[in-house]
Amino acid sequence: MMTTRLPNRLPRHLLLVVALAAAVPAGASNRLIAAGGRVSIARTPLTVTPASEWNRLGARPGRNAEVWTLDGDTLNALTFYAAIGEGKTLFRQADRREHPLPPVNRTMLLTDIPTLLENSYRSALGVATMTIDHVEPTPFAGAGGVHFSYSFVRPEEAIHVRGEGFGTLRDGKLYLITYEAPALYYFERSAAAARQVAESARLD
Amino acid sequence: MCRLIVPLLAAALCAAPVQAARETLPLPPFTTAYQPTTVDERGLWMEADEDERRMRDAPEVIRDPALNAYAREVLCRTVGPARCAAIRLYIVRIPMFNATTYANGMMTLWSGALLRLHSEAELAAMFGHEFSHFELRHTLTGFQRRRSGSDLLAWAGLLGAGGIALPTMVVGGFYRFSRAQEAAADMLGFRYLTAAGYVVTAPADLWTRVMAEQDATEIGRYRKPNQRYVAGFFDTHPTELTRATYLRAAAAQIGGGGVDEAARFRAAIAPWLPRLLGDQIKRNDFGGSEYLLNQLAVDGWTTPLLFARGELYRERGNPRDLSAAAGFYREAIAHGDAPAEAYRGLGLALLRSGQVEAGKAALRDYLARRADAGDAAMIATLIAG
Amino acid sequence: MLRIARDMILACLVAAAAVPASAQERSAIKPGFVLPPDTARILLFRPSITVGAQSTAGLFEPNADWTAQAREALGASLREAEAHLGHTVIDYAAPDGADAAALAEYHALFDTVAAAVIEFQFFPGNRLPTKKRKDQFDWGLGPEVGTLPGLGGADYALFVTTEDAFGSTGRKVLQLFAALARVSVVSGVHKGFAGLVDLHSGELVWLNADLQMGGDVRTPEGARKRVRELLAGFPGKPADTPVAAADANRAR
Repeated sequence: MMTTRLPNRLPRHLLLVVALAAAVPAGASNRLIAAGGRVSIARTPLTVTPASEWNRLGARPGRNAEVWTLDGDTLNALTFYAAIGEGKTLFRQADRREHPLPPVNRTMLLTDIPTLLENSYRSALGVATMTIDHVEPTPFAGAGGVHFSYSFVRPEEAIHVRGEGFGTLRDGKLYLITYEAPALYYFERSAAAARQVAESARLD
Repeated sequence: MCRLIVPLLAAALCAAPVQAARETLPLPPFTTAYQPTTVDERGLWMEADEDERRMRDAPEVIRDPALNAYAREVLCRTVGPARCAAIRLYIVRIPMFNATTYANGMMTLWSGALLRLHSEAELAAMFGHEFSHFELRHTLTGFQRRRSGSDLLAWAGLLGAGGIALPTMVVGGFYRFSRAQEAAADMLGFRYLTAAGYVVTAPADLWTRVMAEQDATEIGRYRKPNQRYVAGFFDTHPTELTRATYLRAAAAQIGGGGVDEAARFRAAIAPWLPRLLGDQIKRNDFGGSEYLLNQLAVDGWTTPLLFARGELYRERGNPRDLSAAAGFYREAIAHGDAPAEAYRGLGLALLRSGQVEAGKAALRDYLARRADAGDAAMIATLIAG
Repeated sequence: MLRIARDMILACLVAAAAVPASAQERSAIKPGFVLPPDTARILLFRPSITVGAQSTAGLFEPNADWTAQAREALGASLREAEAHLGHTVIDYAAPDGADAAALAEYHALFDTVAAAVIEFQFFPGNRLPTKKRKDQFDWGLGPEVGTLPGLGGADYALFVTTEDAFGSTGRKVLQLFAALARVSVVSGVHKGFAGLVDLHSGELVWLNADLQMGGDVRTPEGARKRVRELLAGFPGKPADTPVAAADANRAR
């Protein structure tokens, strides 16, 4: 009853670009992640050992988060959320007043992790239809974790995106790795490399 | 602006021949198959046509034939068969209170509106209002006005913040109707409602609840309710209070009578209610959701409402929320027709509040009912753990 | 709309960082890829063409008349150019009842890939380390693209996308003031992507993509210029005319 257009629905990559625009000039640049080395994520105890090389984007979605990619975050994005504590959100809140994000809660169960990601996307990105397709237990970062798959349509584009998440909770803090790519070709193409990174995760 | 509108509306109403209690107000003449005439207008049509091409295949469009047939029937009853033929209606699954009108006759109704409307008369009020935008060709003037408004902002951004504001600005929403246009659409929409024989207090009731929901959202976020009673200079819409007030005054002029068809409306959306509630719960708006649930429960807490309330409280997850959630799930289960997910919710709420054995028992009940659930393996580890 | 917003942001960044202008690439070919003249059957997918104006604030205003003019002018220029590409080029006609959504999704994916090439390989300020290496151009739509109906044994698909937003007078004046304030404001977006996709492997073997192309696509002469720029460096094409080469090297 109010607008003739959808309200602000910012796809995630656009948020990154806006963040990037704010960081001009120079700012943090994209870095090569070499194969075989142990890498610490966002200066937290979370480490991974990628078997193949990746690029880490200089633009980060939040303080305790970073994005790795092979061809750009619109084509494949491996996102790490590390040590997100009580009351903190998964990524930076673009519109805290109108679209606040759900925070991490100490009493969360593993089954609440997919819900947190889904509700964050729905609130922040204006994703109207997102489905969590499959949820199963998995060992992750040396403990019990949750592995789930999901899908959504990137707003304003005819691109169907598939995603997969690996998460766990440690000392009331959330650790989550997601991999997202267009369902067409790109998802399958680097899914194995992404899973390898997630499966190499350690919390020391 | 708003101060002007009320007398204008009153004048319009007085000018109409008010003989009987429910005299039909005259409707403006309507031409079918209107074609765009100016450059701006043709551009808008082109863009609307593109949007519609996308909309036809869009995954968020609700295709359920029964729901679409019902909505179309109400639209046609409201604006009449000739006008209704000019409109293609799409029900879109977006959990917010909105409907949109495009220059080429495409109209969308958002699923969040279905959750907030209480009767067919309110749906008719919404349709009448939206159709009025189309009939008065508001998209065009809105666009022209918007262009000059944003030009102003570009200059302000450059002079003020050294240009950084510029990139972020282009990502804003696109056209909005002006306050005067909204008021004009309210007035014309009101006439449709009257002509169709619906109860005329519907639009005022609707706006009153919209205000209350906004207040509830703010309180739920630990802020002061910010319902402003006067529209600011940059606001596009008359405030909800202004609208509720002038629509209520207009309704009083027309008098009583008319039907609300609330039962028919509830029956039509009943198959969708659990999904609409689920979408609302995921919005991370505790206060607004709680308000909506209470409004829907005026005639009693049904199973879908209790289940949704359990989910809402469990997701917020404060200790007291978890015990409240368990209570709602149990009530839903006691009704005898609860979905298997009510046992899941009960089990998870109990686990989180430290009642491990009772929680595991409820999760076992869930798996007994839904062995093929997508999260069955995950739940099984919680039972074993 | 959002896609164009991202482009404008990127255009601002590119304009801010790409000094000198010649530092920015706009065309690439897969290393080792050669297409001997007159050996390939190429399908031209229906070009995606949008034209509008950009108001002072950068809002995109669609303009149907301009788009219709551009569709006609670009169509004529493309037909003219096809004859000189040195290969058999046929317009792709999707068979009746073909999955329109699948076709649209491939075009959307092509646009996403082309934009990613600009942002993460061509634009030095945001280039990915793995895309920096010498003689490297590894992008694609995947081999499944070859299963679209009605391809009729063609070897390559040619995708063309243009999106033009002409700066309004207000925008141009703003640009002038912004230059004085040392803030970069791009007047208009003139985005053009042309890409050749191998229908057997799905690889992008050649791409020409830029957010600031030349040629007013609304006029026959401008459309010819745009098509020359879009198809500059097309593999296996008889040598470009000097005019086209000059256009392609034009500093922005």
